[in-house]
Amino acid sequence: MHQELIREDPDVASAVAAIRSLLKFLKRDQSETILGLRENMTKAIHRLEETDSSVAVSSGGELFLRFISLTSLEHPDLSQCKNVMIERGELFLKKISLSRGKVGKLCHTFIKDGAKILTHSSSRVVLKVLENAAADNKRFTVYVTESQPDSAGKLMAQKLCNLNIPVTVVLDAAVGYIMEKVDLVIVGAEGVVESGGVINKIGTYQMAVCSKAHNKPFYVVAESFKFVRLYPLNQQDVPDRFKYKADILKTVKDLNQEHPMIDYTPPSLITLLFTDLGVLTPSAVSDELIKLYL
Amino acid sequence: MPGADKETDLSERIESFLSELKRCGSGAGSLRGSAETARETTALLRRITAQARWSNAGDLMEIIRKEGRRMTAAQPSETTVGNMVRRVLKIIREEYARSRGSTEEADQQESLHKLLTSGGSSEDNFRQHFAHLKANIIEAINELLTELEGTTDNISMQALEHIHSNEVIMTIGRSRTVEAFLKDAARKRKFHVMVAECAPFCQGHEMATSLSKEDIETTVIPDAAIFAVMSRVNKVIIGTQTVLANGGLRAVNGTHTLALAAKHHSTPLIVCAPMFKLSPQIDVSEILSKVNAHCPLFDYVPPELITLFISNIGGNAPSYIYRLMSELYHPEDHEL
Repeated sequence: MHQELIREDPDVASAVAAIRSLLKFLKRDQSETILGLRENMTKAIHRLEETDSSVAVSSGGELFLRFISLTSLEHPDLSQCKNVMIERGELFLKKISLSRGKVGKLCHTFIKDGAKILTHSSSRVVLKVLENAAADNKRFTVYVTESQPDSAGKLMAQKLCNLNIPVTVVLDAAVGYIMEKVDLVIVGAEGVVESGGVINKIGTYQMAVCSKAHNKPFYVVAESFKFVRLYPLNQQDVPDRFKYKADILKTVKDLNQEHPMIDYTPPSLITLLFTDLGVLTPSAVSDELIKLYL
Repeated sequence: MPGADKETDLSERIESFLSELKRCGSGAGSLRGSAETARETTALLRRITAQARWSNAGDLMEIIRKEGRRMTAAQPSETTVGNMVRRVLKIIREEYARSRGSTEEADQQESLHKLLTSGGSSEDNFRQHFAHLKANIIEAINELLTELEGTTDNISMQALEHIHSNEVIMTIGRSRTVEAFLKDAARKRKFHVMVAECAPFCQGHEMATSLSKEDIETTVIPDAAIFAVMSRVNKVIIGTQTVLANGGLRAVNGTHTLALAAKHHSTPLIVCAPMFKLSPQIDVSEILSKVNAHCPLFDYVPPELITLFISNIGGNAPSYIYRLMSELYHPEDHEL
């Protein structure tokens, strides 16, 4: 069902699709007790994570589970509870589908006329931000890294071309070379962790270190449902189920021979985070997470 | 008609305030300190609340927002005006919420938690009329004025914790807050102060004269000598024009140099700034572009170079400033 939703609308964030399918599952669920409902939901979330092992799906799933627990605390009666859950679920879904637009509106004011922007791989949120800036009649050029092994950067370049934004694809290895030319770096995120750091496509950490060395601002754009309850201290702390694709985890014996798909960027390298909750400094992220999981 | 008289009197006062703002900002230094500007702005806003015609909170907020926009347009570099307008708008929202009887939300910011638990949008139009709203708002504004009057004293009271005997303190230009801070410490401790003169207006000279009158050993140094002298300095204490939302500063030119020199020598940099200088702006280049290109009046100092902020509510780290921001202003008022 989840795959269906993704195929239908390739523009939708994977976490939103996950939550939508979870909501459908909730509607069809037949359990008699709230505990049974929770168990079924947890099982469903595990199944989802097995099919699409991205951080965003995991955080979306956890958020949904949290949402159920909160609602069930208020309404002990199951049928009433379910109705309220479904109603709030729809509302929640509507709000988070709008979050990308909110982020786009917030961020595009930071792009000045004549700016040169560097971005990494393909991110729908960054695309939205650049779209808004272009609609505001700002002139800017974009450099995108190729982002191997899946060459997602070329896809991003194609999309930017369609928006009539001058774009150049550079090699992943050319980040250091190009850094002196650019004015700012904007990347998306697959997950935002408790320390205020981000988890994103492999190569982001490299870009962050380079931009720090050249004193260029490093901005991250992410919707709020990507906040996860992880606190990695270094690259090895990021759980394997995020680093490698689900099918690789199942089939391969020695993970040391595999290439990870994501890396962790510590908060000290990030200037600002643009989220639908506002413009946050990395230290403000943990505050937001605490407020949620209180 | 008495009503019309009041209105013309009110608009006259607003006009005179605006013209004073326009005159004072440009030119040699600041003829009036920001504390006075803040106080006068708040007093004017109180007068508007008392005398303008409005029937519900929404109208009052519209009037104040309109006047606020005019005032900030008159002197964009004087951010305290905008800050006070935002404080008053937040006061109005709180008083309105209290009158409605709704439980005062400790946190008006968006949060993931609110996304999950709110059952439907609570669009508040502020259109309900309450009889005692005016009196409540005016009382709250009076409290704000009392707070403003006490800010310098509150900051100076913390001086003894931070300044120790036989220390060498460096400062730049002239900040009334830092002056009061140092004078308060001088009553009980003996220390040396080096003042960077801060060309081209050389306000540092006035600062040095004023400090030496209180028997503080003071030395004036030219701006170029800041790095050379920094190795002998124990602490750097500065004032600022504005504190930005990311914990950075907009301070008199030369401050960035001072901050970099302090970072290089690992000398703590302490900023004494009252809370009314906290501004929701973050956009750095927007601020700099409003500045005269031939002789920039202000510097941007990034938050990484600052050790501690001392304000009237205590000492805080730069990474905490965003939190104080959310307590002082409502997010919808960031853009007036």
